[in-house]
Amino acid sequence: MTTDLNQFPQLDKTKFEQRGIQLEIGVPVTCAVSIGNYIAAGFGDGTIRIFSSEEKHKTLKAHKGVILCMAKDGDNILTGGDDGYFLKISLNGEINKIANFGSRWVDHVTAHNGNLVCSSGKVVYYWDKNKKEPKSLNHDSTIGGLAFDAKGRRLAVSRYGGVTIWKKDYSNKWKSTKLDWKGSHNKVSFSPDGKYLVTSMQENVLRCWRLKDKLDFAMSGYGSKVKSFAFIDDTSYLATSGAIDAICWPFDGEGPMGRTPICVPYVGNNQVTFIEPFPDEKAIFAGLSDGSVFLSQIENENKTIIIRSFTGSEVSAIAMTDDKSSIFIGDMNGNTLWTSIWDQ
Amino acid sequence: MENKHQVPVTVLTGFLGAGKTTLLNRILTEQHGQKYAVIVNEFGEQGIDNDLVVDADEEVFEMNNGCICCTVRGDLIRILSGLMKRADKLDAIIVETTGLADPAPVAQTFFVDQDVANKTKLDAIVTVADAVHLSSQIEDHHEAEEQIAFGDVILLNKIDLVKDENIDVVTKRIRKINPFAKIIKTTKCGAPLKEILNLDAFSLKRILEVEPDFLESDHDHEHDDDVTSLSFVSDKPLDMEKFQNWFGKLLQTKGQDIMRTKGILDFKGENDRYVFQGVHMLMDASPMGKWPDDKERSSRLVFIGRNLETMNLKEGFEACKSE
Repeated sequence: MTTDLNQFPQLDKTKFEQRGIQLEIGVPVTCAVSIGNYIAAGFGDGTIRIFSSEEKHKTLKAHKGVILCMAKDGDNILTGGDDGYFLKISLNGEINKIANFGSRWVDHVTAHNGNLVCSSGKVVYYWDKNKKEPKSLNHDSTIGGLAFDAKGRRLAVSRYGGVTIWKKDYSNKWKSTKLDWKGSHNKVSFSPDGKYLVTSMQENVLRCWRLKDKLDFAMSGYGSKVKSFAFIDDTSYLATSGAIDAICWPFDGEGPMGRTPICVPYVGNNQVTFIEPFPDEKAIFAGLSDGSVFLSQIENENKTIIIRSFTGSEVSAIAMTDDKSSIFIGDMNGNTLWTSIWDQ
Repeated sequence: MENKHQVPVTVLTGFLGAGKTTLLNRILTEQHGQKYAVIVNEFGEQGIDNDLVVDADEEVFEMNNGCICCTVRGDLIRILSGLMKRADKLDAIIVETTGLADPAPVAQTFFVDQDVANKTKLDAIVTVADAVHLSSQIEDHHEAEEQIAFGDVILLNKIDLVKDENIDVVTKRIRKINPFAKIIKTTKCGAPLKEILNLDAFSLKRILEVEPDFLESDHDHEHDDDVTSLSFVSDKPLDMEKFQNWFGKLLQTKGQDIMRTKGILDFKGENDRYVFQGVHMLMDASPMGKWPDDKERSSRLVFIGRNLETMNLKEGFEACKSE
């Protein structure tokens, strides 16, 4: 999406931009994760950049094509690419191949406690940390997303027609249960308290299941696809992209049914394209389609500060270090910002 | 948002063995210096000579909780969005469908999915037809008929293997199904690439440039399941409200049988020409500037589909004429 820069007044740099490091990589930023006090960011040319406050960022050539997905596994980075590779990369830059699927893309990766998971096409591959060969979990259609619950016992796999939840029984055999809803389900997540499962769909809507009784309901009203969502402050809110406001559904107490969401507003008509929680606070980083990024409180009259001003390209990644000191922002044109959050 | 860059997508369709892979390889070898991505299906033939070939499963699903006319190709949405994240900018994308695929969900994907429509555009549907076997394929397989119905360009291939009079028979058969496709007769898919790529066949502006055969078509047909076309012309201006009511209801109720529509409309009291085109229930319409001085104002409308004769199209259209 392009934006006519002349429509906007020339804003001064924010204080975060002034003290941070801004790069123009020229290649889409596709993903970013925090690993301790490091941030790893993946790019459309197969490179990874690792940022830390200690040293200059490091650039690694990891994949031949687009890095489609990323997750953390302890102190390592897991990546999947459109070159068919599933890689494990250390912060020192050591790259290990876990698998190669040839012309099939590795669309999603995740990990829990040393167990590694990726999906390619219709199959989920699960590497138990004690085993060399993966277990294949088959599905009838292409996988849209993967998520472990907080304890790593259940693995949710979204797909066409709903979600399959996999779990090992007492004899260590894989068992699955299905949650059905017509349509294509993409990103999937358990709520941190384990009570709910949420998917974003191909339509402009979220689907949610209350797991104790499989009661399902929609969260709708969006102007575009909900590509990004996150649970905030444990399971207090579900903050979502896809509208000109950040839409925050209350998940405390009896859950969101019959309750109205809090809409955190931003100036102008740009869509929110990325949501990242501020850990342990009822606050979010919201990235917009014009490249601007804000930090907002969900309560307290949505008190908001600007972190990055517009770049003209939609925000596609935001990640905060585990010590909450620094933040990384990236967009589809490859403009990045790496900055400390706190005034010295 | 008018100047946004959209990568053109050409859809190659056609029955098994008609010559899709031959055409694909010709495009890839003759277009020097161009960066293409080719999306092939799992049953595709081997030996495609390109460094960016993506395997796809043709996964068709219904959006909006089961609306048939919002049937899209889910794999295309996923793959196109992945390709848009690449560092090297693509000049074009070619989607090869399986021989038995219905082209409608491919076309509908570009209407329905916002991200796909923002970054890519459907350039044209190119159907490769086997001149030797097309007639029998049309009789036996509704997919063959649908592929002809949806084609913007139809390559009638292998004509070296068919007698001239039989080529005429096949051409007539194609014309009856699809009056606005460009038919190119080839051996080994040897058509100039400029007649296959970068056609912008789905842009409304293009409809004004390449006017289909708006001939009053004959109404005979062999059996009800045939795909046929009907076209209507009126020199009398149409009443906009009446037309919208009739046409909207028609697509809503008969959208499944109506495969493609195109038209240029003259509304009473309006200075602009109105142009539209549709795939099943989905439609794209817009005023396209004033009528040219050297042209008579008239309304023209083409339908391609099944059971058209049961829809009272003539009567419906006649009733839209202004008083």
